[in-house]
Amino acid sequence: MTTRRDFLKTSSLIGFGSTVPAFLGRTALSAPRADKPGAKDTVLVVVQLTGGNDGMNTVVPFTNPDYYKLRPTIAIAKDQVKKLTDDVGFHPAMTALAKLYTDDSAVCVVQGVGYPNPSQSHFRSMDVWHAASTAETLTTGWLGQSLKKQPVPAFHLAGGNEVSPLALAGAPVRVPSITSLDDFKLKTVSVTGADATAQKNVITSAASIAGGSSGSTSLLDFVARTQMSTYASSEKLASIGKNYAPKVPYPTSALGNKLKLAAQLIDADIGARIFYVSIDGFDTHAGQGGATGAHANLLTQVSDAISAFYRDMAGRGHKDRLCVMTFSEFGRRAYENGSKGTDHGAGAPMFLVGGGVKAGVVGAHPSLKGLKEGNLVHGTDFRQVYAAVLDKWIGIDPKPILGDGFKPVEVFVK
Amino acid sequence: MLDSKNAWQPYTPSAENPWDRKKVGHLYRRAGFGATEAELAAGLTDGHAKTLDRILAGEAETEDFARTSAFMASERSMPPGAPQGRLSAWWLDRMLKTKHPLREKLTLFWHNHFATSNAKVQNARFMLAQYQLVQAHALGSFRTLLTQMGADPAMLVWLDTNTSTKGAPNENYAREVMELFSLGVGNYTETDIRQAARAFTGYEIKEGKGTLNRRQHDASEKEVFGKKGKFTGEDIAGLCLDHEACPRFIVRKFYKFLVSDTDTPGADLIDPLAEQYRKSDFDTGKLVSTILRSNLFFSPTAYRAKIKSPVEFAIGSVRALEGAVGTLPLAEALEGLGQVLFAPPSVKGWDGGEAWLNAQTLLGRNNLALAITATDNARFGTRCDPAELAAKHGAGTDAQLVDFLLGLFLQGDVPNEARTKLLDYLKATKDVKYPAYWSEDDIANHRTRAVTHLVLTLPEYQLN
Repeated sequence: MTTRRDFLKTSSLIGFGSTVPAFLGRTALSAPRADKPGAKDTVLVVVQLTGGNDGMNTVVPFTNPDYYKLRPTIAIAKDQVKKLTDDVGFHPAMTALAKLYTDDSAVCVVQGVGYPNPSQSHFRSMDVWHAASTAETLTTGWLGQSLKKQPVPAFHLAGGNEVSPLALAGAPVRVPSITSLDDFKLKTVSVTGADATAQKNVITSAASIAGGSSGSTSLLDFVARTQMSTYASSEKLASIGKNYAPKVPYPTSALGNKLKLAAQLIDADIGARIFYVSIDGFDTHAGQGGATGAHANLLTQVSDAISAFYRDMAGRGHKDRLCVMTFSEFGRRAYENGSKGTDHGAGAPMFLVGGGVKAGVVGAHPSLKGLKEGNLVHGTDFRQVYAAVLDKWIGIDPKPILGDGFKPVEVFVK
Repeated sequence: MLDSKNAWQPYTPSAENPWDRKKVGHLYRRAGFGATEAELAAGLTDGHAKTLDRILAGEAETEDFARTSAFMASERSMPPGAPQGRLSAWWLDRMLKTKHPLREKLTLFWHNHFATSNAKVQNARFMLAQYQLVQAHALGSFRTLLTQMGADPAMLVWLDTNTSTKGAPNENYAREVMELFSLGVGNYTETDIRQAARAFTGYEIKEGKGTLNRRQHDASEKEVFGKKGKFTGEDIAGLCLDHEACPRFIVRKFYKFLVSDTDTPGADLIDPLAEQYRKSDFDTGKLVSTILRSNLFFSPTAYRAKIKSPVEFAIGSVRALEGAVGTLPLAEALEGLGQVLFAPPSVKGWDGGEAWLNAQTLLGRNNLALAITATDNARFGTRCDPAELAAKHGAGTDAQLVDFLLGLFLQGDVPNEARTKLLDYLKATKDVKYPAYWSEDDIANHRTRAVTHLVLTLPEYQLN
């Protein structure tokens, strides 16, 4: 565990505003890797679909008669899907993403992703995806570990109720969660500038004192470290202009707002390269809907927000730096239940969106004949996708993080 | 280090381990929402045994409290479509004013255990009914609570039992009753879930009550945990309660809630309590009493071994300030800190512990503390008045003021350097150029409020 002193040594954060953690001071282009030209200043944005997205109604096997047998009321009719290949197509709510796929060649769909002996507990399965491991106890995340190897500025763009994801745990400095730049400020009840500074000095120096007290515990150290990195980040972000004018309008959804904030931070040239966002509500046990309804609404939000984000970034010349990756903890049961919804299942698609992704559909749709206890069987391990992202996009060796045996999926052009 | 035999024995003060102000504060934080200056003093005067008895038994609520709270919860004030904020504000108001904080605290524990959200239920009457079910059994029988939860209207909606029928059962409740409400991952199979789901078919809501519709219920034989029978939902609750994993699972959760966020106790510590809980047929009051009276509870293992939840942070601050705030804006502010009552983020509830603090929620805490203590804050009203409180307790000089605030909020348990920083700040404020129209009182008020805010931002104060 990092002690307060270690933290101070590595971050050189003492006092307020005089210095900031090294990771925040660096710019994107200051650490190019000649051997991996594609990994120089690339940006990864992970979009988590929380609750277990119904993959089969997202990428629809519309030529398969078994699909319609399994889902008598919630199947998507053949003439409604947005065709990707001769056999599969997007849910009709995903018009915007379908357009990015066909017109811009900026979408890669990896079909049937999962892991062996999948857990159908939301929480266990989510932990497995975050840690990229099926070990019993999971304490660090795949992105946290990658930040240890390559400490670039990273941000969790959170809603009010969201906690920092396990995926980011283990980073050398705690990755800040941010809801809005307006609220990301340390305020004081001050009469003058000098009074404000004096108060801020007490607040920040108390954080550095805490770890040294005789009653210091790991929790107190944790609080103190969180305070130190927070106050430094908030000071740094205070310099970012508040009036961001996107090149294209974003949908007015929570996900749209988070991705707009990501765009603002990417464009602010503070070297930010890893972002984590999530959208909840995919646990559709009842009243899931078909071409319209609850699931369709969620897919619209995902499709519209990601598409706007891509186009905004493209308008600012960042599209070839950008890779958005979606995932969910599991797919749904192949057959629908009595509540016109779906129970917990396995195997679902992931999307990668950006100027550098290899457009197209990777892998075959999981067989609807060879179900395992009613669940789709995955064809690609999610760690094969992570391996590609770590190696080709972030530019670090995936093996120490994921272990051996996860052959990267070809999802990038280079 | 305490051995497992002594750990749960009642604590008795000794010369090395005296009953002091720190322990009183610790007890009041864990068994409620923090202490006032008067409660800290009474705890010291009364001694540990009497203080524990008083906290565990609670006092009768005042007539005014009971009447007002009931009125605010009536159908007229809280119709089914009442906004989320009104529900949470209602509960925050109870937490602020109750004479039995332990009961509200444990109701919060069970709310986090059965984590049902109005975001999906969309019915304030159902949410209130679940609150009442939980509150009634918060210190009572977990057997009754778990059994009745299966037919609780809010829960029927939350986990889709109300749409699950004989023809095609829905697995949502069957899974979570095992994974999250009684046993934990690893103590059941996917087959157990699918079989149990059939037992939970046919439940529906009629006139606001959960009932079993025999025509939609699958009455045929099921096999769960290797036992066969024509089980109903109530039977499944019984099977879960009889499962050996159940008392351990619940006791571990209580350990985290009352003792430590970070310590992972071994079986030697958990098993004796689990055995007691099972033998008492899940008497939660007894279990809580054993924990709160124990040596372990008053040991370094438990002291400041938790991070305050947003509710604990806010309610504790307002109670200690002997003030009042509008609970509607408070409920709204707590959303930014990551805790909306009656709307936990998922069926797992709030993760708690370190998850409470991230950059945004930490700034949110600092800024909420500022709002509560600020001179003019239209949002929360100005009824928390640190200057008046300090005057009431005779804190006149800067040193007296700092020691009073540190004594109240942290029982004086902060590094001396932190105390010095606060004193230095107060000293420096003497040179600040205040607006010409400020009176001496205005200046004194400002200094007191500013330093109170600073105390509430200390890292130690984030710990429970």
